[in-house]
Amino acid sequence: MSRGGSVSLRNIVKRHGSLTVLKGVDLDIRPGEFFALLGPSGSGKTTTLRILAGLESHDAGNVILDGRDVTGSEPGERDVAMVFQSYALYPHMSVYENIAFPLRMVKTPNSEIDRAVRESASRVKIAHLLERRPGQLSGGQQQRCALARAIVRKPRLFLLDEPLSNLDAKLRLETRVELRKLQRALDVTAVYVTHDQEEAMTIADRLAVFMEGNIVQVGTPDEVFRRPVSIEVATFLGNPPMNLIPARLAGREVAIDGHRLQLEIDYGVEREVLLGVQPSRIDVGAEGIPAQVDLVEHLGDSVIVDLELGTTRVRAKLPERTRLSEGANVHLRFDASDVHLFDPQTGQRVTA
Amino acid sequence: MKRSFARRFALAASAGMLLSVWGFPVLWALLTSFKTERDVLAYPPKIVFEPTLAAYRDVLFGASSIVPNLVSSIVLSLGATFLTLLVAVPAGYALARLELPAKRASGFYVLATQMLPPVGLIIPYYLVLQKVGLLDTYVGLIVIYLTFSLPFAIWLLVSYFEDIPREMEEAALLDRAGRFRTLWYVILPQVRGGIAVTTVFIFLNAWNEFLFAVVLGGNRVRPVTVAMFNFISVEQTRWASLAAGAMIAMGPVMLLGLIAQKHIVKGLTVGAVKGGGRR
Repeated sequence: MSRGGSVSLRNIVKRHGSLTVLKGVDLDIRPGEFFALLGPSGSGKTTTLRILAGLESHDAGNVILDGRDVTGSEPGERDVAMVFQSYALYPHMSVYENIAFPLRMVKTPNSEIDRAVRESASRVKIAHLLERRPGQLSGGQQQRCALARAIVRKPRLFLLDEPLSNLDAKLRLETRVELRKLQRALDVTAVYVTHDQEEAMTIADRLAVFMEGNIVQVGTPDEVFRRPVSIEVATFLGNPPMNLIPARLAGREVAIDGHRLQLEIDYGVEREVLLGVQPSRIDVGAEGIPAQVDLVEHLGDSVIVDLELGTTRVRAKLPERTRLSEGANVHLRFDASDVHLFDPQTGQRVTA
Repeated sequence: MKRSFARRFALAASAGMLLSVWGFPVLWALLTSFKTERDVLAYPPKIVFEPTLAAYRDVLFGASSIVPNLVSSIVLSLGATFLTLLVAVPAGYALARLELPAKRASGFYVLATQMLPPVGLIIPYYLVLQKVGLLDTYVGLIVIYLTFSLPFAIWLLVSYFEDIPREMEEAALLDRAGRFRTLWYVILPQVRGGIAVTTVFIFLNAWNEFLFAVVLGGNRVRPVTVAMFNFISVEQTRWASLAAGAMIAMGPVMLLGLIAQKHIVKGLTVGAVKGGGRR
């Protein structure tokens, strides 16, 4: 398999009437990467994917695939395959014919079609369903059929628009892993749109976080999770998302309600900040910042505790053995290395 | 259990009543078509009688045979239907997919054409066809039929095309099908039911049409609807022949309905993008 499939988006702008849906999107995706476009609904990630596919026009900017500017090209000319959220299977054709369709359109000889269809179907484990119609398949099987149709012609770019959102939770988890393995086996570049940050974090090599028509951060899941670049990103990721506590920063110290925490670097002049800390990084014990337990949720393998810290609501994710009663007065502790500092005005990460 | 039986019985009874109200004239005509002219006029009316095919023979092979009229009807109806579909299918597709400003207004215009009383159009149409020299021609009458059937067919088909999700075409385009092959291989098979329904409507309307046919037609163009009046003259009404003619005239329409029914049902159950039928 040739290592094609590099994608570049240069300053993509899209307007819809008076609304600017994409405000200048720049992106580079490497060949063979599993790249996720993550963001809340309406942030522009699906629009970006569709512009990549050629299904939507854009008002400014360029789309470059493998070094070639395909900005004006028809979707059929881009050698791109897509799996839609609704699968878009052809209901009047059998599964076999659905998968064969893209090959028939380029006049592939029948013997070759047969071989390719059966191979793709086996890869996604629906070889036994070839004679059925999409209407006779379960949701998961339909999704695999859509996948098979996409991979059968070995495209250089594989686009997926929230393909798992219509599956039930368990199936979603299983299919996630299989998708990843499939992409690795085919060595094809995949661009994956999702609003589920957990999904993006587990499946992607790198991801781009979309907010209101802009990409606010690009990086590996680890990078983005450990060093969110803004409050927007920080509170979008994580389940439960990062806590934000008003604090006062001065030099090497940050103080919450008078309780001081020593930091690793000197931040200089005194100012108000929002201190971010992941729920899983909070320790509840005898020493630390006083807080009151509001609500305890047992999730089976962990416990989510809602706490009142002064006037701020804080959520902590604790081991499942934790025993806390509602209304109890506790103390919170966390490490300096787990602290993120954000400017309350700009929402951006504070630098020294 | 008891309740549902009583309910079903009530439903069946009311359906039966409705059916008999509609069906009785047809049934009576059917009976009449097998009677001799004498039996027809018998009073009290005869339900039991000796059936004969005399009326059918008269109608088909007699002096005033309606066979040429059947041909006329077939030419008119098939012509109108074929031409309507030829234009309405692409037009419906275009209107459904393109964001044309005319789109919203077109629905209103279509309804307006359906609300016009045909009687009011007879004289203008007559004058137009006369000027163009198309009175008593198939071309002329079919064109007149098109003025009604086209807007209606397009309006019907637009809604069927709109039912198909846009992603279907997008998937086909990405599969390198191009616009025309997408329409032919992906879209049209899914609106089969819609096209069948539209076809039945157009054909039926054309077949049953009387007013324009009688005014704008003549000796050459005379469908069965007009020909029926041959059996009604000043001296007498040949009821049995009239009934037989009516029965024969109904034949093609019933046949079309039966054939189209399968496609209509199929069209409704193939369904949309996901779970065709399983919702």
